[in-house]
Formats: sequence, C-alpha cells, structure tokens
Amino acid sequence: MPLPAKAFQRWLHGIAPDTSTADVCRLSGVKRTTLAQQLVRGKVAEATVVSISRAFGANPVRSLAYFEIYHGLADQSILPTPQELVSQISTVDLLRAVIARSGTGTAPHTSEAPQAGLLALGPAAHATSVKNWVDAIDDGELRHRVSAAAGIAPQNYSAQLTANRMAPEVAIATSRAAGVGLTGGLVATGLVTEAEAGWEPGARQAALDMMPDGELAVLAGDRLQAMGKTLRRQEQDQEQTDMILENLG
Amino acid sequence: MREILQWTTLIVCAAATAARIPSALRGTNRSLFFIFLLATAAGVLSLDVFYLPIDRALGGINLASFLLRLIVFAAIYLVAYRVSRAFGARDAYALISGRIGLSVLGLFSAALVTLFLLMDFSASSAGLADTGGRSQRNAALLPYYWATARGYPTYISLALLPSLVRTLGSRLPALVRAGAGLMAAGAVATTAGFLLEFAAPAFALERLVVNNAAVLFFVSGLIMVWLARVRAKGTGGLGTSSTDR
Repeated sequence: MPLPAKAFQRWLHGIAPDTSTADVCRLSGVKRTTLAQQLVRGKVAEATVVSISRAFGANPVRSLAYFEIYHGLADQSILPTPQELVSQISTVDLLRAVIARSGTGTAPHTSEAPQAGLLALGPAAHATSVKNWVDAIDDGELRHRVSAAAGIAPQNYSAQLTANRMAPEVAIATSRAAGVGLTGGLVATGLVTEAEAGWEPGARQAALDMMPDGELAVLAGDRLQAMGKTLRRQEQDQEQTDMILENLG
Repeated sequence: MREILQWTTLIVCAAATAARIPSALRGTNRSLFFIFLLATAAGVLSLDVFYLPIDRALGGINLASFLLRLIVFAAIYLVAYRVSRAFGARDAYALISGRIGLSVLGLFSAALVTLFLLMDFSASSAGLADTGGRSQRNAALLPYYWATARGYPTYISLALLPSLVRTLGSRLPALVRAGAGLMAAGAVATTAGFLLEFAAPAFALERLVVNNAAVLFFVSGLIMVWLARVRAKGTGGLGTSSTDR
C-alpha cells in the first residue's frame, strides 16, 4: 500500500524544509509529473521516498519507517540469516564459487587464496532474487501465511515471485510471517541496497564462504535447474512467436 | 445502418489489401494479401450497388451470389490454413487442411452447387432477398442453401477456436494475443451468424451486424499479428533467440 500524501508532505518538510518541489525532483531524479500524479491521487510510491531520501543523504529504510505502516523498519536488530544472504547472490556467482572451490579450475588465479573474494559478487537484487529470497525463508507454509496475512491470492503471490517483483508491503508481510528481519524483502526487490538495510559489507560473501561444499553444490544445482527451465520456456515462446509471425505476418 | 456497416467492412478490407501490396510484391506471405483481396471482393459483392450490375453482366441468374459464397469459402479456408499453421494447432490443422478438412470443404462446395442448380434464379436480387418468394421449391430450398453457405465458415471457426483461445491465454507478445483474441471473436461471431440464420427473418439486421462483425474481427485480428511482425522486425526480434537479449 503506497504512502498517504499527507504524511509524505510532513516527512518531506522534515527532510528538506526549504526546498521547492521542483528542486526535490531535480535532485532526486523523480519525474515531476510522476510526483504530482502521486500527490493528486493521495498515494506516494515507496520508491519515491527512497529516491528523495538518497538525494538528501537520509537512510531510505529509516525514512520509510517514518510512515505508520513501516514503523517496524526502525528496529534493525534482527540480522539477515545466512540463507537470506546467500539467496541474494546471483546464480552465476554461486556457480563461480562452486568452480573456485573445486580447485581444478584451469584459470591461474584459483591457486590464490580462494577466500579473498577473488571475484566481487554482483549486486544483491539479481534476476531471481525475490523468489530465491522467499525460498530461503520458507518453512513450507510461508506462502499460505502471507496470502492470509496480506490478503493476496496465492496464485498472484506466485506470479509476483516468478516475475521477480513484490510490492514493498507484501515484502514486509512476508518477512513478518517468516519471523526474519524486515528489510530482507526490500533488498531482494532492489528497493533499497544491502548497505542501506544495515547489512554488514561482505556479509553475503562471508555467508557463502561458510557454506559447506555439499550444500553449495545442491543449491547451485537447484538454481541452475530453475534457470534452465526459465530459458527453455523463453525459447519455446520465442519459437512459437516466430512461427506465428512467419505464417501470418 | 445497413449500408454504413457494409461500406465500413469493405473500406477496412480494401485498405488492408492496399497496405499489403508492397509485401505481396516482395513475396512475403502472399496468401495474406489474397485473404484481404478475397475479403474485399466479398465486400464488393455484398453491396447492392455493385451486386446488381455484376450479376447482370453474369447473366442475371444470381451467379454473383454463388460466386460470393465460393469467395467466402476460399477466404475462410486460407485464413484457417494460415492460422492453424501459425499457431501450431495440429488438431485444427487436420480438421481444416488434412484429409478430413478437404473432404468437408468438398462436401460443402458440392452441396452448394447442387442447391444452386436446383433453385430457380431468374432475377438478380442481392442477398437472394426475393428469391424465396418466387416459387414453392425455392422457398423450401433456400434455408438449406444458407445453411450450407454459412455452415462451412462455422465449421472452420469451431475448428480454430480452441487454438485461438489457447494463444489468447499464453505468454506470447501482447499484439499476437490481441490478434488471436480478435480472431476468436470473429469465430464466435461467425457461429452466431449461423445460428441467427435459423431465426430469420425476424433478425435481419442483427444477422447483418453479426456477419459484418465477423469479417471485421478476422481482418483486424490478422492486421494485429501483422503489426506484431512489423514491430518484431523493428527491434530485430524475429528469428533471434530470446537468450541473446
């Protein structure tokens, strides 16, 4: 649920008291028409607050916590679980880790200390980060609990996961239902960065390094399989489209 | 009302045909050009202004009406042939251009010829409006003639409908799905037109609306898919695998 315009105006006044709307937009990169539309409708998107916070050097997570529905975000005492951290590592990075650990790689740099982070990990929000995050915190019943708590149909929830999208309030509801820190979903959807969410720098790499070889291999295998399925589906769709266009175009 | 509808249909078909001329000259999918051309010809023959002089030239025995029916058969067959191939619908494919499909087409055509020969058409009348009153035999045969004329398009529509609906619910590009949706609407309208034929003559205007709508739906559906191709070409999408995006 987007943020009420009144509360947004109050928050904006607090963070940028003497700045005109035009300047706020110029500095934050939010389109003026977009902001005006959101204000007229009385619903301001979370992403708008995040962009403006960054422009004015405020922490986006703390800014969101200003709003009633996100009050809970102020408490950042629950750290992300190792599973959550690893879920935010892209499939390709996981596969690289498998190869690096096997020690049989032909590349010369594998002889160097493998723990030294020879390859920096890609950003936290990757191509399948939302689904991977939910999988990482799911105890088997999570999806049902979220549907019930957030009032969202299970098939719509799955569709969001497949599309790698999730509304911020659903992300929070998911965290609550799983009993993990509230920022995980916001990081997975790319709304905020891991640093803004208060995750330690290198926390993902550390969680990855701690993972036993077997567990890593299984996880990487699962991810690779899911990736293969997605690619195959895309290819089939493309083939079908090509055939339609060739015959009827 | 009647005239406006028929002219609209004709103009849309003629415009689509004209727009397809460059691709036809290039040699891409000539059948699409012929589909639009046949639809235009059918549109021309549906209008009194053209029907009467043409029929007079053909001997004034309503041969033009018979010709119109055959044109409709040819157009709907071509559409179905292309669509069933495009959508990879093997079931529809057999029912349309397989052995069964061709037998059905032969059967309907033979029935149409027979009924036409059995009737007495000694005066031109667009849509065979006056023919029923000419003799007892005509009045008895006319419903069968119409049933045959509308029967084949309905058969084709029902054969195509499942694959069109399937495409509508798929993850294919929006324009392709819109095209499939419009053609599905055309198939439904064709079937509705067939059913309304038996409710005649009370629903003359409704019938005309439904039948014109069917043509417009099919033609605009084909235009949609065509636009999808224009778009795919613009972005270099056609023929490239989705993985190298």
